[in-house]
Amino acid sequence: MSTEAIAAERPKRNYNALFGLTLLALLVLLWVILSVATPSFASANNISNLLRQGSMIAILAVGQTFVIITGGIDLSVGAVVGFATVIVAMLINAGVPIFLAILITLLVGVAIGLFHGFGIVKMGLPPFIITLATLTSLRGIGLLMTNGNSISINNDAFQLFSRSSFLGVPNLFWMVILVGIPAYIFLHHSRWGRYLFSVGSNAEASRLSGVNVQRTIYMAYTLSGLCAAFVGVLLASRIGIGNPTQAEGWELQAIASSVIGGTSLFGAVGSVHGPLLGAFILATINNGANLLNVNAFWQRIITGVLIIVIVYFDGLRRRGK
Amino acid sequence: MTSTAQELHPAPTLEPGRTILELKGLEKRYPGTHALKPVDLAFKASEIHAIVGENGAGKSTLIKLLTGVMPRTSGDVIWEGKPAALATPHEAMALGINAVHQEVVLCRHLTVAANMFLGEEDSRFGILQQRAMVREAQKIIDDLGFDLPAHVVLGDLTIGQQQLIAAARATVRGTKFLIFDEPTAYLTRKEADQLFTLIRRLKGEGVTIIYISHRMEEVFELADRVSVLRDGTLVGTRNIAETNDAELVKMMINRSIEQVYHKEHFTPGATLLEARNLSGKGFENVSMTVRAGEIVGLYGLIGAGRSEFVTTLYGRHRKSAGQILWEGKQVQVNSEHDAIRLGMALAPESRRDQGLCLNLPVGLNLNLPIYKRISSNLLISSAQEKAEADRQIANLRIKTPTRNALASSLSGGNQQKIVIGKWLAHGAKLFIFDEPTVGVDVGTKAEIYRLFSELLSKGAGIILISSYLPEVYELADTLHVFRRGKLVATHGFHTADHEEILTQALAEKQEKPGGQI
Repeated sequence: MSTEAIAAERPKRNYNALFGLTLLALLVLLWVILSVATPSFASANNISNLLRQGSMIAILAVGQTFVIITGGIDLSVGAVVGFATVIVAMLINAGVPIFLAILITLLVGVAIGLFHGFGIVKMGLPPFIITLATLTSLRGIGLLMTNGNSISINNDAFQLFSRSSFLGVPNLFWMVILVGIPAYIFLHHSRWGRYLFSVGSNAEASRLSGVNVQRTIYMAYTLSGLCAAFVGVLLASRIGIGNPTQAEGWELQAIASSVIGGTSLFGAVGSVHGPLLGAFILATINNGANLLNVNAFWQRIITGVLIIVIVYFDGLRRRGK
Repeated sequence: MTSTAQELHPAPTLEPGRTILELKGLEKRYPGTHALKPVDLAFKASEIHAIVGENGAGKSTLIKLLTGVMPRTSGDVIWEGKPAALATPHEAMALGINAVHQEVVLCRHLTVAANMFLGEEDSRFGILQQRAMVREAQKIIDDLGFDLPAHVVLGDLTIGQQQLIAAARATVRGTKFLIFDEPTAYLTRKEADQLFTLIRRLKGEGVTIIYISHRMEEVFELADRVSVLRDGTLVGTRNIAETNDAELVKMMINRSIEQVYHKEHFTPGATLLEARNLSGKGFENVSMTVRAGEIVGLYGLIGAGRSEFVTTLYGRHRKSAGQILWEGKQVQVNSEHDAIRLGMALAPESRRDQGLCLNLPVGLNLNLPIYKRISSNLLISSAQEKAEADRQIANLRIKTPTRNALASSLSGGNQQKIVIGKWLAHGAKLFIFDEPTVGVDVGTKAEIYRLFSELLSKGAGIILISSYLPEVYELADTLHVFRRGKLVATHGFHTADHEEILTQALAEKQEKPGGQI
């Protein structure tokens, strides 16, 4: 009898795939509607623009998702992006080779992530607090370093990268694929990915099963910091300046993308494709609203409503099964 | 086992023996399953009616229907002669139907008094009358004979004490029909006695009690009548004086009681683990050895230091003094990781809090300790991952549709099998089972005990912790008794009787062990 009782339950995998397809359908639907509603939407120029806009949030959202799966949150990613633009701009202007400048910037992101891990694991601070503290301090440190000014990057090759395309697809979007595929393999096909889920579900049970919980938490925040620093490099390349106040509020967009993509803020539920789709859904809404001359203030409201609607329906279906 | 059920005392206003609640063809279907087949049952006023059955037999479903948590599929419920819809928990409570659950569902951060009056606070002009409520709560608690303060924060009490508060809370709300769902699972004997006193007193006041338990001796100690459920069917109802536990077990599982405690003796082999004068938080100066092929039982009350001792062996907590020897060599166990690498495995006390990742698939839970082995460098071999999970599911007969079902969707007994099963693939030498059969039905118990023998035959050693004396008594080759953090006595297999062991665990002579354990 009890066998039948649980047979009624839908296996998790299928459900995830189904949800991913629903999101994809929503994205395609948005594109179709916007193509009909405004002729400029489907232009090659606009699509490239859209992909560029969505790419950076998408990468942030992937890193954020790793953290949220462990049951944590990383509020610092927007600030890390801004801080990273300053670091990479200063290094390049100081004549450091581009490759090395990028590497150092990424290491700074790793260091910030390790610090978050330290605060959570060793000092026992809640993730919300430690990353909130970093958010505000990093902006401050960046402002101190730049005296509140923007740093213009005087290196055309560096800036050319984000404006170029490869095979007709913007380089920035290729970066999403560059991050997304290893992230997917890591999350779904490596034991570290399994540990992220298990720690998010029950840290004590994981510990007693031999999972190194502390290392897993360090890893999640480090990856999030790394993704954020990488996005900082991309942003610096795109706008050609280093400015610590850039990327204001991007942490919230990253969290929103992740949540729209099916990640549970309670931990242990999430994927890589979900946040990516979530980020591009948000980018499409903003892009479409611009083209339709919808007041920019409305875009924020629409985003808020969308978060509520999608998460509500997702919750309904999870409960309903 | 003696029946201490008292004669019915006529309550002033209620006529005992009158039917208070009648179920007529009560039935519950879920999509794809028939959780409760039509049940006809009448509960009498001021009786203690025990309901027993294996996990998944339909007890929880029955409770949920009676407390209005879930709607029934068909059938009628007659409350005091009138049909009742029981569509919402609120309606059930308004009629006077209440439940005390196995896991305390109260607010741990509020005071005892605040919990007692939760939802019915005493306030004047919108201002809470906190002192009055504490006074009133204290009066109720004292009146019930519980030695507990009303002003402290609930979370500061032990789980057992919280359970008593939950019971006390249920009594102050005009309750006429009170359901206890395995209330003693986490209680010490003394707390259980206090609870039983409360239950008998409620009965004396005309309250009808439904008592759900896996512990037969409690059923015989308390109940007037007992009903047995099996696979969603009511197998029968007996007057307690006219039945015995052998009959009940047979009704529950279609199997005789001798088949439950399955004990094979093996010749002990080499010493696997030795603790020398080990001290830590919650226990001191404990020495013992565990050899291959033997079960070492640790018996004592909850809080006697047994769990603390094994979690220290397992590296979860730091030892403060003493030595741990593994296969004759002194070792440092600084983390769970160290313990696992040596060859220890722990199935912890609380499935939900320590044993399982409930919202993750069964397969992931089973494979958690062995992901290192089934990964080549970074990547998991998904073929091996599937094969290992399916092997354990088949091996332990875990009832689950697929390895991808969430652990939370399984019954308690099957969840326990996962907690144990994840260590079988890992291949440990010393298995530590901390209360492995709490909340597990008789059938699954028997399976778990059989598994013990299988492990022993392969040369493993077992440390078995239990608060349930018959379990350690029937299974342990060596039985250590813990009291207040100290190892106070050691016995061989059946070299002491229940009474002696119980006295050693309790020590204070004023504690009356009585005939029941």
